[in-house]
Amino acid sequence: MTSSATSSRVPTMKPERVVRDVSNLPTIAFGSQSIAWWGTIGFMVIEGFTLALCAATYFYLRRNFSAWPPEQTPRPTLLIPIIQLGVMLVSIIPMYLAARAAYRLDRSGMLKWLLVEVVFKIVILVLRWYGFKALNTQWNSDAYGSIVWTTLGLHTTLLVIDAAEDIGLVIIILTKMRDRLFSDVTDDAIYWYFTVAAWVPLFFMLFLTPYVS
Amino acid sequence: MTAAMSPASRGPIDEDVQELARTWSRPPGFWGWLTTTEHKSIAKRYIITAFTFFLLGGLEAATMRLQLGRPENSVVGPDLYNQLFTMHGTTMMFLFAVPVMIAMGLYFVPLMLGTRNVAFPRLNAFGYYTYLIGGAFLYISFFCNTGPDAGWFNYVPLSGPMFSPGKRIDVWAQTITFTEIAALVGAVEIIVTTFKHRAPGMSLNRIPLFVWAMVVMSFAIIFAMPAVATDSLFLALDRSIDTHIFNPAEGGDALLWQHMFWFFGHPEVYIIFIPALGMVSSIVATFTQRQVFGYTAMVLSLIATGFISFGLWVHHMFAEPIPVLGESFFTAASTMIAIPSGVQIFCWIATVWTGRPRFQTPLLFVLGFFVVFIIGGMTGVMVASVPFDLQATDTYFVVAHLHYVLIGGGVFPLFGAFYYWFPKITGRLLSERLGRWQFWLFFVGMHVTFFPMHTLGFHGMPRRIYTYLAVTGWGPLNLVASIGAVIIFVSVVLFLVNVAKSWRGGAVAGPNPWHGDTLEWATTSPPQSYNFARIPVVVGRGGLWETPDEQPVVGGLRTDTREVLLTTLLDAEPESVHELPTDSIWPFLLALCMGITFISSIFAPWGALVGLGLGFLPALGWAWPTKPPQPERISPERAS
Repeated sequence: MTSSATSSRVPTMKPERVVRDVSNLPTIAFGSQSIAWWGTIGFMVIEGFTLALCAATYFYLRRNFSAWPPEQTPRPTLLIPIIQLGVMLVSIIPMYLAARAAYRLDRSGMLKWLLVEVVFKIVILVLRWYGFKALNTQWNSDAYGSIVWTTLGLHTTLLVIDAAEDIGLVIIILTKMRDRLFSDVTDDAIYWYFTVAAWVPLFFMLFLTPYVS
Repeated sequence: MTAAMSPASRGPIDEDVQELARTWSRPPGFWGWLTTTEHKSIAKRYIITAFTFFLLGGLEAATMRLQLGRPENSVVGPDLYNQLFTMHGTTMMFLFAVPVMIAMGLYFVPLMLGTRNVAFPRLNAFGYYTYLIGGAFLYISFFCNTGPDAGWFNYVPLSGPMFSPGKRIDVWAQTITFTEIAALVGAVEIIVTTFKHRAPGMSLNRIPLFVWAMVVMSFAIIFAMPAVATDSLFLALDRSIDTHIFNPAEGGDALLWQHMFWFFGHPEVYIIFIPALGMVSSIVATFTQRQVFGYTAMVLSLIATGFISFGLWVHHMFAEPIPVLGESFFTAASTMIAIPSGVQIFCWIATVWTGRPRFQTPLLFVLGFFVVFIIGGMTGVMVASVPFDLQATDTYFVVAHLHYVLIGGGVFPLFGAFYYWFPKITGRLLSERLGRWQFWLFFVGMHVTFFPMHTLGFHGMPRRIYTYLAVTGWGPLNLVASIGAVIIFVSVVLFLVNVAKSWRGGAVAGPNPWHGDTLEWATTSPPQSYNFARIPVVVGRGGLWETPDEQPVVGGLRTDTREVLLTTLLDAEPESVHELPTDSIWPFLLALCMGITFISSIFAPWGALVGLGLGFLPALGWAWPTKPPQPERISPERAS
């Protein structure tokens, strides 16, 4: 029911007059009309800033070393991280297609591309495992090893959360689909674009700057 | 279901109101208490929990004053004293001041915006439980003689694995993580609620100053808290898995800790101070019965304060080897922040000057704030000067300064706000007579306690010493300070008595006992679970004062689901309606999993992975959709 006419026993400050009827407004909104979108942006800012602080720490600590990586520490291996970066960039495509299907209210298309995306993220996580090995140092070797492992670890946490979110969405779409999930999937896509976008500068920092003397 | 509306009425029909109450009320009993997502219930718990921590922090301070009341006293030994001052600072900053300010926002922002709950009600409950678990963990550890003992800012290398073995510092680091998560959650809640849940007509230039202050505070939290969360993560890793981020022997850097801590720590002061400014504006407007002079200047000053607060952190590190240019920059920034603060103080003075001030307890606390905070601000300008700071650093002068700033800038407005909004929260007025007694005792006790500390600092008394010799001559002033602490103690006890007496037996307040202008006064005291039977429409900056004869409202929101109205960012035009989730146990369970994650990581690093894995199930349960009661209407405005 909605609120309507006549007198009332409810204590109010003063008489009320209805000046707007909102009963026909949409119940599901996308993008900046949706509060979930704003929440996603908020947490992206927080996590992005945390990663930026790691990057600041990386360069701050670098001032303490005459050589970077420190002497006797080999530079990172590039092959696996480059492959992983490539897979991450390509993974934007199924995520984009899932979001596009969501905008079109196409449940099966959205589910299909979301499943493809889950496979991509599993591959990315496996590659990330080898990405840690590719750093060629340990977290407890020295400050260089500590900050590169910590930065990579924090970004990996985002990957895990992204993958868990996709898996959760697939489970819910398969068992308890409702229209609001269309909007949720578009927000999920934005979060993934952010995770990939955050990785590009971090990849350069962790894996390529050690090659710049 | 939608029903017809009449163009004018005195209020919603009873059946609608009863259905609203059924829809928005929590289930009875403990289960309902545990699963509720109502912002007022959560915020009340936040306020009560934070105030409990305030009392505990106060008792720690009282114990320290007892110890320092005379030379070579032996009430506590050095080890317990180290824990006491660390617990006091940590409690007051992380478990009291920030949470209580956020809690006031979580209670009043939705009411002032004319909506029925915060944007993410389950997230709100999760934030509270995370905070509660973190605070309880700290105090359980303290009572097990594992309280942190390296100062509230835990400088390395003292707090590092070499000089602080054991688990005390790990407890501190994980407490920080808990409270930061809760603060960040609260900040996102307040920002999104303000951006999207405003009543129709409440364009940006009509938002109450209190809400503006809460928004600025929330942005400051979003950019400040990650710094201390990252810093404490680095510390926890250095201590638990032998990383070397702060270990100079392996290329780490001890000064990095201070930079990251104070990048958070200085805005932290403003995270406490800025919402207090919003409280002051609310009280000044109501108790002078006129809108605050210079609305635009006030809002811009709040935003400027938020920005500049991020440019001051190095003034906490003037005694460290900092480049001279850096020192000059941060001195300039530190003095510059006095400008927006000054603008606001002059606007309030103009408001009081041209209004009809009623000197009741809330306004008394605001006037107390002016006096105390201005003294704290002036000593702040003194320590902003590098040569002076080098003399005063780590002495009791700084203790005096920071208490003048934080008690003046935070606690005085907060007590005023308690008196001002207590009738809204409980439906009863606090006793005015007891309130005046409490104010004067607090005002006098504050000066008796902290003013002598300026002199003690000039006489060279360092901070964080558990005792001193009689020959230093510090005894008499310390005794005076300790007597002041007793006066503060009596004042706080009076406040508790006032609350206990008035909660059930105070004068009935009615919806708007002070004749305030903001929308929280447009509903019952205390507000119903749904806040407003019908969403108000705002027609001017003066809020309720603009519509003295009748209240324009919105019709057409469903009463059988938790439907709220979303409006546009700039002009608050109705845009869509949104169904908020029902009450749920999952936020509590997820908070428990987070607790397992953080606490177990202290004892076994892999424990964090177990907790994270356990968290998937409650997260899934949290997101599990309920069946909508009607066909959903999808916005035609979406990208293709």
